[in-house]
Amino acid sequence: MSVEAPAATGNMGEPHPRFDARLKVTGGARYASDMPVDNPAYAYLVTSAIARGRIVSINLGEAQNVPGVLHIMTHENTSKDVKDSKLFSDGGFSGTSIIPLQSDKVWHDGQIVAVVVAETYEAAREAGYRVKIEYEAEQPSATFESNGVQVQAAADVKKTHEDPKVGDFDGAFASAEVKVDATYFTPTQHHNPIELFTTTCAWAGDKLTVYEPSQTMYGMKNGIASQLGIEPEQVRVVSNFVGGAFGSKGSLTPRTALTAIAARRVGRPVKLVATRQQGFTIATYRAETKQRVRLGASRDGKLTALSHEGWEVTSRPDNYMVAGTDATTRMYDVANVQSKVSIVHADRNTPGFMRSPPELPYMFGLESAIDELAYALDIDPIELRRKNDTMKEPIKGLPYTSRSVMQCFDEGAKSFGWSKREPKPGSMRDGDWLVGLGCAMSCYPTQMAPSSARVRLSQNGELRVETASHEIGNGAYTVIGQIAAERLGVPYEKVSVVLGDSDYPAAPVSGGSITTASVCNCVAEACDAIRAELGINDPKGDVLAALKSRGRGAIERYAEWTPKGVPDGALAKLYSGQAMPTGGTKDKERIMFAFGAEFIEVRVHQRTREIRVPRIVGAFAAGRIVNPRTARSQLMGGLIWGVSSALHEATEIDKRAARYVNKDLAEYLVPVNADIDQLEVFMIPEEDHEVNPLGIKGIGELGNVGTNAAVANAVYHATGKRIRDLPIRLETLLA
Amino acid sequence: MTFRNALTLNINGSEHEVFIEPHWTLLDVLRREIGLTGTKENCIEAECGVCTVLLDGKAVCSCILLAMQAAGRSITTIEGLGTPDALDPLQVAFLKHGAVQCGYCIPGMILTAKSFLAEHPGTPTRHEIREAISGTLCRCTGYQKIIDAIADAGAEGAQAAS
Repeated sequence: MSVEAPAATGNMGEPHPRFDARLKVTGGARYASDMPVDNPAYAYLVTSAIARGRIVSINLGEAQNVPGVLHIMTHENTSKDVKDSKLFSDGGFSGTSIIPLQSDKVWHDGQIVAVVVAETYEAAREAGYRVKIEYEAEQPSATFESNGVQVQAAADVKKTHEDPKVGDFDGAFASAEVKVDATYFTPTQHHNPIELFTTTCAWAGDKLTVYEPSQTMYGMKNGIASQLGIEPEQVRVVSNFVGGAFGSKGSLTPRTALTAIAARRVGRPVKLVATRQQGFTIATYRAETKQRVRLGASRDGKLTALSHEGWEVTSRPDNYMVAGTDATTRMYDVANVQSKVSIVHADRNTPGFMRSPPELPYMFGLESAIDELAYALDIDPIELRRKNDTMKEPIKGLPYTSRSVMQCFDEGAKSFGWSKREPKPGSMRDGDWLVGLGCAMSCYPTQMAPSSARVRLSQNGELRVETASHEIGNGAYTVIGQIAAERLGVPYEKVSVVLGDSDYPAAPVSGGSITTASVCNCVAEACDAIRAELGINDPKGDVLAALKSRGRGAIERYAEWTPKGVPDGALAKLYSGQAMPTGGTKDKERIMFAFGAEFIEVRVHQRTREIRVPRIVGAFAAGRIVNPRTARSQLMGGLIWGVSSALHEATEIDKRAARYVNKDLAEYLVPVNADIDQLEVFMIPEEDHEVNPLGIKGIGELGNVGTNAAVANAVYHATGKRIRDLPIRLETLLA
Repeated sequence: MTFRNALTLNINGSEHEVFIEPHWTLLDVLRREIGLTGTKENCIEAECGVCTVLLDGKAVCSCILLAMQAAGRSITTIEGLGTPDALDPLQVAFLKHGAVQCGYCIPGMILTAKSFLAEHPGTPTRHEIREAISGTLCRCTGYQKIIDAIADAGAEGAQAAS
């Protein structure tokens, strides 16, 4: 059974209902493609049918004859229109340096090769099908082990990359009493937010308004200006609600500039709604990884050596990487550590951030290996983690600001009934079902970025907060409003929050779980400035009475907040679209993470090997929880994503053609309601005054880290079969 | 030349006259011609359920239904459920249980549940609810709370009927 929203306990705020829930249950929430524009034309994308080569000719004759077609863009008429494509991860705005329609070159399958604009969507689509393209195809490289891939060490291509290392791994591993040496694989995955990748562009003179679901208002504003060669002041981006993002809407995709150019050319607004299938290649994805993990330990279970090597696929031109060894080398007390990350260039679209980009794949490797070690040592997996728990990360010896991971394991284990587990694999059964219980550690770096916000208290008691942050399902409207209400002692019902518009004060990209920790601290500062102005320093003092007694109509304060340790000029950078996050492993004096412990029960049918997950328990400690109701939703959603990562999701690649083959929601599996049964989330009270003034750690990505390992560990416990290649499928268990 | 036909649709209790091409879907007509954007667009292949509307009270995917086929039938979209003063019990239950995250699947989820509860009066089990709404995908995966909300609304409906 499920439970009601948890009551506020230690260091938790009130479980207020979502600020935007009513709009969402009545159909009143307007997402980008719902926004009305005057007399729009419709765009349809034509995408490449090969993964590598060049376009020899494009025949538009038939397409242009479709009634209602207004304009067709190809590289023959658009090659000089897009100016800049610097990669987001290199300090630019774009998720890829591959800008389509710039030349006849095809870099990957599904690259945009033409854009048709017509009076109706149907006409644009029909004409799109009639664009005839002749290619000169070359043999593409699809993934690891394909001919023609190029492997580079991360440290060789990225100046800021470090492969964490300490002590003498080789010596310690050679002499270790007990060893694990295993290789793990995680698959290609696509975010597949339910809201599609849409863009609507409307020009008024030289001013452009872009309606697009986005996690980065200022990144888009500045990025699109630089791509079009206009000033940021000429661009307004609006995105009041985002129908899921998970990283896919955090950097600029090529479609935005193309839609803006199309709108300029046809002299009226243009709407683009890319199809689900196109979404697989016109935006980013989580690249497949290969990882080798080696662990050495003494007979009594003390870790002595850890090596984590990772290989990640990226596109031909871009050095994108997630490099999760930054976290995995710092989770346990071990004196001898080495790591290395390499990237593998193939003929693919450029990958990008997807929910817990580094930790989801890399913690699968580490937490599977820890379970393997527990079996090799014949020690309970939780006790093995306890033996190697630490309050200092081993690489530089920096202290954790807080780390409640064993409290999470203990609380979670109690609720899950871990003590009833028979350790031997295959020893627990229920009729025809083999029962397996597994666990794993979750972690996510606590990061913050500079933010700005404006808060206004009016005489009628209304409190309004403005900031260009984003509601991506995270509950941003709610937690931001809640902090303002608490700080000024105003009822939550009197607060209104406006987000998702680049006309408001700048907020950082909503990625890396930074929003609550960053924006809430800024809003608190603006509220404190209002208190100071009114001379009400007692937190219980009535600010509204003071406002009235002074005869003021309203009082408004704009605040800028910077977390400790960001370089000078970070706020100017924020306004030019750069987030500059700090915290996590970036701080020089301490290390900041949120932690969790996740428990999974699987049932594997003894004949068919069908895998079910009847129970999921997660216990998490993440500093101050602003709203336990929205936090619980985030963590539950994360856990289901984790199960999905273990059992459902994978984008399949035709290795001969380097093309994705399951590009829709019928073939790309995500868990449906019937796949998920009991699910429990515990939030362990934790106070951390060092991470930021409000003591908040982000939780949007914490829930789905480690879950895949917990499932794989449970499957091993049920069947005795160790699956190191995700997703786990019944055919693998039958083999 | 494209050919357009006049068509009268009964949507949320009101008659709407539209002038459409015969191959346009109900989803496109609702969103583009009428301006009822509460019905969401996504897969256009009836895989995800976000475009669900009620046709004579039964849940259908409006992305694969031609608008012409809805002539003479009663269409209910999320905007037609409840009133600002008296939300539908399902809407109330979704609010109460916090069953909303990004919100994009919610109109389809609520209307699917509406149709299911109408066809299965009484108190459906959690398992039945889970199966019934498994054709509607939620990527924030708020499944547990969505089931709580539907179970609650179902129980209230059963109570009101008894």
